[in-house]
Amino acid sequence: MTTKELIEKLGLKPLSKFEHREIKGIFISDMVSDVMTGAKSGNLWLTIQTHKSIVSTANLADLSAIIITSGKNVPQETIDLASKYNIAVLSSSAPTYELAIKLHDLGLDKG
Amino acid sequence: MSKCHHQWEMTNVKYGFVTFDKCFRNNAIKTNFSSTDTPGEEYREGDCIFIRVENAQSFTFDLHCTVCNRLESFKELMGLLQCTDCLPECPVEVLQKEYAIKNTWIFVAFGYLPEANTKPIPDHKLDILTVYFNQRRDTSRSKIKIVPFNLIQNLSRCKGEFIHDVGMLSAEPPPQERKPLL
Amino acid sequence: MTIRIKIGIVKEALNATVLEGEVQLEETVEHIYASDLMSDVLAFGLPNSLLLTGLATKQAVISAHMAEFKGVVFLRGKCPKDGADIYARDKHLVLLSTKHDMYDSCLFISSALNEKHHESVGTVEDQTVGDIILKEDFTIGGRDFANAGMVSTEMKEILKKIGFPHELVRRVAISTYEGELNVIMHASRGKVQLLVSPKLIEVVIEDEGPGIPDIALAMQEGFTTATEEMRALGFGSGMGLPNIKRNTSDLNISSEVGKGTIVYMKFQVQEP
Repeated sequence: MTTKELIEKLGLKPLSKFEHREIKGIFISDMVSDVMTGAKSGNLWLTIQTHKSIVSTANLADLSAIIITSGKNVPQETIDLASKYNIAVLSSSAPTYELAIKLHDLGLDKG
Repeated sequence: MSKCHHQWEMTNVKYGFVTFDKCFRNNAIKTNFSSTDTPGEEYREGDCIFIRVENAQSFTFDLHCTVCNRLESFKELMGLLQCTDCLPECPVEVLQKEYAIKNTWIFVAFGYLPEANTKPIPDHKLDILTVYFNQRRDTSRSKIKIVPFNLIQNLSRCKGEFIHDVGMLSAEPPPQERKPLL
Repeated sequence: MTIRIKIGIVKEALNATVLEGEVQLEETVEHIYASDLMSDVLAFGLPNSLLLTGLATKQAVISAHMAEFKGVVFLRGKCPKDGADIYARDKHLVLLSTKHDMYDSCLFISSALNEKHHESVGTVEDQTVGDIILKEDFTIGGRDFANAGMVSTEMKEILKKIGFPHELVRRVAISTYEGELNVIMHASRGKVQLLVSPKLIEVVIEDEGPGIPDIALAMQEGFTTATEEMRALGFGSGMGLPNIKRNTSDLNISSEVGKGTIVYMKFQVQEP
């Protein structure tokens, strides 16, 4: 599934400017340490963190997209930095646990 | 002698805390890694008075080659920082602009201060780290390059973003702006 | 999302180790909270939740306790080593550790929920009009006069908490109270089901009892089969069916003599 299909299927709100890419697996954590040690290239990252360091983290781990869950407000700085590095920052109003179930129901596995 | 084309994996991951202590008088910085959360008390060293300015969740690791079993320790790596274009004349920023054309992003590797000022992380280790992170990504889209922190023109003016976990335990929601650590 | 799952079931589903709280595995949690940011847990966590987190510190347990959670699951094989277990023991919190990460843990728990047919309902914001957001079951004991009104009172609290208008909550409470009394006065036992959707509240009272031979007659004002004793207790000036009808948007009664009665009440949520 591509980021484009995911956005359509889940009604996510794209915040940054980015090129669509294939999603390979899912990683959920609010700790960038965990992303560094556990996430894989192409992972879709679910988090409630909104500080712009998540963009650096996503960049380093080569993640396909970041979904900010629970309807958290994302600062413009984070969005701008993500657009600069062509990283998808998407917004969902669903809490993390529920979004995880929805993603699984869409057929996305851990990867 | 055949050379191994190393295939690196992260191993021996140990979670802990990186503490940042700063002397505002002399702009001196001290950083340490501890496996437990240690409270920060003001302390004196020479004519510096150090105050804890940050306590970040972090980790240490080694890199292991799955082909030849070589182990490289990265205990001296305090953290990685991404350049945020704050100083146009800074060599890191100059390098970043150059590499951006090749879709390569620059990350700065920090050793523990102040020791790393005189004993920096060896270049060959930074090369291994670069290879590792590139092996972990789809390099047809983009690459990364890790450079040493002594390239930073002015540490006390650097506004780069450390990639570490701060404020995880705070009762207050995270602030949008983080205080500069260096 | 409100659910109902025993912590012990979660432990099995996650193949987790119990770090603390073996005796509390029988406890039930109503929400799963997946987060590493404790300020969020404190601000948005609901009581009777289970925290899934990669933050393996005593402070995470303290935050969970402050948010009135029932337990914490540490992910990716992490275990706090700073006295978190002693704190948890003192505050009666369960601590589990699983090697799974957050995504897998969420899925295993969801899978266990589906398997055991635990009540699992969606959130208000995700549901379209007509979808049930809350389902609660209650029981009524026949002749249990001492507890007359317990169910309708509890139901009132639930509806108030959700935020329904005061007038609507009052009507539901009165109707349910009348129905509850009928079960206590006439039946051997009964159960009440509350179904809440954003625009509709339904209350179904089903009893095992003598049944109503002539429903039309029972719907007349003043009709009663209450005994002297019940009247003395203040419960029986009527069966209350006309009163229920007045307070509902729709009332449906079906009954079988010798078996029991089902009273189905519908309350439309009006736009303000």
